[in-house]
Amino acid sequence: MDRRTLLKGLAGVSSLAATGGVSMPALSQGAAARTLRFVPQANLANFDPVWGTQYVVRNAAAMVWDTLYGIDATLQPQRQMVASEELSDDGLVWTFRLRPGLKFHDGEPVLSKDVVASLTRWSARDPMGLMIKAIQNELTAVDDKTFKWSLKQPYPKMLFALGKNNTPCAFIMPERIAQTDPFKQITEYVGSGPMKFAKSEWVPGAKAVFEKFADYVPRQEKASWLAGGKQILIDRVEWIVIPDPATAAAALQNGEVDWWENPITDLVPVLKKNRNISVDIADPLGNIGVFRMNHLHPPFNDVKARRAILTALSQEDYMRALVGDDTSLWKPLPGFFTPDTPLYTEEGGEILKGKRDIAAAKKLLAESGYSGQPVSCIVAQDQPITKAQGDVTADLLKHLDMNVDFVATDWGTVGSRRAQKTPPGQGGWQMFHTWHAGADCVNPAAYAGIRGNGDKAWWGWPTSPTVEKEVTAWFDAKNLDEEKAAVGRLNKAALEDVIYAPTGFFLSYTAWRKNISGIVKGPLPFFWDVSKSA
Amino acid sequence: MTVSATRTMPVPQGLVIAPQLPDLLLPVKVRRGIFGFLRNHPTVAVGGALLLLLVLIGVFAPYLGTVDPTALAPAKRTRAPSADFWFGTDVLGRDIYSRVLYGARVSLTVGLSVALFASLAGLAIGLVSGFVRSADGILMRFMDGLMSIPPILLAIALMALTRGSVGNVILAITIAEIPRVSRLVRGVVLSLREQPYVDAAVASGTRTPMIILRHILPNTLPPMLVQATYVCASAMIVESILSFIGAGTPPTIPSWGNIMAEGRALWQVKPYIVFFPAAFLSVTVLAVNLLGDGLRDAIDPRMAKGL
Amino acid sequence: MVSYILRRILSTLPVMAIVALFVFSLLYIAPGDPAVVIAGDQASPADVERIRQSLGLDRPFLVQFGTWVWHILHGDLGTSIFTSLPVSALIAQRIEPTLSLMVITLILTILIAVPLGVVAAWKAGSWVDRTIMGFAVFGFSVPVFVVGYVLAYVFALELEWLPVQGYTPLAQGFWPWLQNLILPAVALGCVYIALIARITRASMLEVLQQDYIRTARAKGLGQRSILFIHALKNAAVPIVTVIGIGVALLIGGAVVTESVFAIPGLGRLTIDAILRRDYPVIQGIVLLFSFTYVLVNLMVDVTYTLVDPRIRY
Repeated sequence: MDRRTLLKGLAGVSSLAATGGVSMPALSQGAAARTLRFVPQANLANFDPVWGTQYVVRNAAAMVWDTLYGIDATLQPQRQMVASEELSDDGLVWTFRLRPGLKFHDGEPVLSKDVVASLTRWSARDPMGLMIKAIQNELTAVDDKTFKWSLKQPYPKMLFALGKNNTPCAFIMPERIAQTDPFKQITEYVGSGPMKFAKSEWVPGAKAVFEKFADYVPRQEKASWLAGGKQILIDRVEWIVIPDPATAAAALQNGEVDWWENPITDLVPVLKKNRNISVDIADPLGNIGVFRMNHLHPPFNDVKARRAILTALSQEDYMRALVGDDTSLWKPLPGFFTPDTPLYTEEGGEILKGKRDIAAAKKLLAESGYSGQPVSCIVAQDQPITKAQGDVTADLLKHLDMNVDFVATDWGTVGSRRAQKTPPGQGGWQMFHTWHAGADCVNPAAYAGIRGNGDKAWWGWPTSPTVEKEVTAWFDAKNLDEEKAAVGRLNKAALEDVIYAPTGFFLSYTAWRKNISGIVKGPLPFFWDVSKSA
Repeated sequence: MTVSATRTMPVPQGLVIAPQLPDLLLPVKVRRGIFGFLRNHPTVAVGGALLLLLVLIGVFAPYLGTVDPTALAPAKRTRAPSADFWFGTDVLGRDIYSRVLYGARVSLTVGLSVALFASLAGLAIGLVSGFVRSADGILMRFMDGLMSIPPILLAIALMALTRGSVGNVILAITIAEIPRVSRLVRGVVLSLREQPYVDAAVASGTRTPMIILRHILPNTLPPMLVQATYVCASAMIVESILSFIGAGTPPTIPSWGNIMAEGRALWQVKPYIVFFPAAFLSVTVLAVNLLGDGLRDAIDPRMAKGL
Repeated sequence: MVSYILRRILSTLPVMAIVALFVFSLLYIAPGDPAVVIAGDQASPADVERIRQSLGLDRPFLVQFGTWVWHILHGDLGTSIFTSLPVSALIAQRIEPTLSLMVITLILTILIAVPLGVVAAWKAGSWVDRTIMGFAVFGFSVPVFVVGYVLAYVFALELEWLPVQGYTPLAQGFWPWLQNLILPAVALGCVYIALIARITRASMLEVLQQDYIRTARAKGLGQRSILFIHALKNAAVPIVTVIGIGVALLIGGAVVTESVFAIPGLGRLTIDAILRRDYPVIQGIVLLFSFTYVLVNLMVDVTYTLVDPRIRY
């Protein structure tokens, strides 16, 4: 028995003496074996997955609420709460039937009216949901277990929309909760999923507790990402927020936590050396680094200036700064779509390949009319990914002899400033950085960052009619080959017009103690089929 | 006013008084004074020398074997100390030796500027507060209010208001330090106001500014000087904490605080990133503290009672 | 005495009002929008605007300030923008860890620093004195987080005597509670111990030179009783003052310590709130801190009367 256990045992004995009570240590050892302590990627400050679209909220919500469909490891939507669906011959009416035995955490059965209310709230915030809403006739409950969605035009991606993992997901909540305004937070967390949220134990910013819901009826199939039977093999999951990576690493080594979602790559060698810890790639879909320029104002309103950046940008510098020396963790990305997925393409990506040509970039910059005006770059210091990218960009721009106004601030300020369309001298901006989860970039469906519809586009407001044309082409495509062709053309157009500058594709690790089994790679941490031995 | 007894006393008949010797010893005494002072107060000597050394390092950083402290080389990140990189490289491949030496500039600038500005502002407020009874109440309530907000939180909030820059860091920390200096000055002024010579000056019709200049100021300066050194030391530490939290100097300008902040996640595996700036910071703060202690002991050992 | 206390409490009201106005204005003019952070990366400008409206952030300054003050006077500290939980609930959740940390640090500090200062004063000028004061200056000079990391590495990782992070509520046992607090308290206490040891020494030095000490020695009283009974009591006023001022220092240092040791206390709550622009939380906490500081000052003043009978109100 090591010293820690001895001290813990002593502690147990002394608190026994204090309470004068029952034989606690043995029981608490057993209870500990059924509690999984997890360190999430960020703070769980709020818990409404439709109102707040941060990844960490979605990850927690996936435990507490269930969805009608769920994508599996091949990115195909599979039935989850739905037992069967029917599409009318003209492709306009979708009829769905719910599985028997579905219950909410308060014991009430899941009924169609709950589904209708949930989908109505969801479709007010979700991009694909908004598309469906725009062409819908009505969404109604036919009877307690059947509901139908009738449209004015066919929408072939319906099942993907209902089962996708991109936020916000179409989680099914009780009707009374789902009737909350989509722009206000829900205050009750009664779910339909395999785990209950213990609100009384929630300390926002520090701890969140989830307990197994005994009356959940999992599907029979094996679980695969969000599809299949979500079997829970532990009693409790505690999310423990540890903002300092060094402390989180120490806690994992000490056994004070069991699973760390996102260890930073520099600490991975230490974790790998530890006999009790396993380390593996977290999500094969990885992340894409994003460097966005403002298309509304000089100098980047001229495509030559944007292409100058692409000509000089070294994805290797950005990726090394982000994930360190391990080359298995990053790939160059001559495009905008996730590598190793069906729609990945490098069409038009020559500008990002090969040796970097600073001289040519400077020439392009001069041709665009740039003559030394200050160029503002807003960089969030509290996000390691944006901070590292910001530092590399500052260096890049120095080599291009650009006059950089480096605004070091925090994520909240970046968020509000990037929404300003005003010229840079008056509170606007010219460059900022962020990243997209690879899972959000597998196709144009939920990919707001790739759109070129000017005022309605994502921050930077790029305008590219060709890109928009190809996005529509993709939505209308009838088979995979047509989709690939559309995406290829899209990629090329996006690079020519420089919708944004991709800084590379990078993966991250996840680490867990060896007494935990069942952890799989995926776009979010999955807690089903995960068990803990003493 | 001294009265020379030898000149007015009548000389008895027949007595020869040797002419007064010129005071040759005076200059020597003064010289012995300064070095003797340093010899008698080793803490001032040590502290002052160390501080001077660090200032020189900061000023002459470009000539001490450094390279551009902001030059990125991601391919060479987190290398251990070696012949090429005396203190190793950081997470972006920048040379830590260069960053630490250039960082001395920022930390010392912050420390000395905060000490200067906080002292000036605190002096002004304290004088007004001590002399002008009507303003005293309001000013001190305001200072109390400021003091009751923990300085770190005040600085973070002020930094969140603006962008990260050295100027804003100085401003934020200065505002947090002013209340203490002003209280100190006010205390001295209040106690001095009761002194007889001040009463005499007032009675003889001296105007207030004259009183302040000739009587009050010379007496406030010594304790303020000591307090200023402590403010300087504290400001350097607060700057490092602000950078540690991410609300301090922007990363394009190396400061000891943000070098440590960037390396904090790796201190288990690459301790040198945090160690070198921490060592330099500690030595500098130590030097300033020693200087302050020594000055306090030298000027007035009885002041050891105060802060 | 009672009337003095009442008068003091009354006079703190303008102070708190100034603090409240100051903090509220600061946040109001700060850039950075909580609605944006809430909306998340994928939201559109229209979404953000609707969230702003639902949070009441688009109303004029005086209206917002007035509403806030009105609520405070009714005991309602507002609702957090991010979590929709009442601010008072959030504070209540977090107050125990921070309070525990500060109390342990205070006790540890006084137990270590006062004897050290007394010994240093007693042996003034000797190597004992110089060593102690040397360590004291050192304690000032190293940043808190560096000390914290070193302690965590040595005692938690290498020796495995204590846990690395976290907080166990007192209700779950005294020793587990204490275990989580020892390392943070030592890290936080370093600066404080240095400060108090120095003040104690200086204060004691002054007192030891007084005539009544010489009298006591002439009477043949033992060293220990001279030191602790006569000298310390008289030297206590500045010591108690510094303890009071130091509480503000502690709060600031707790912010960093809570970050390093992952203690779910008020310090971390404040930083998170400031960075996210969760105005109601920031305002609530700053008010709380000010109130605490003012209270501590009052207690310090009252302690003076116990310690020094010459001081009367």
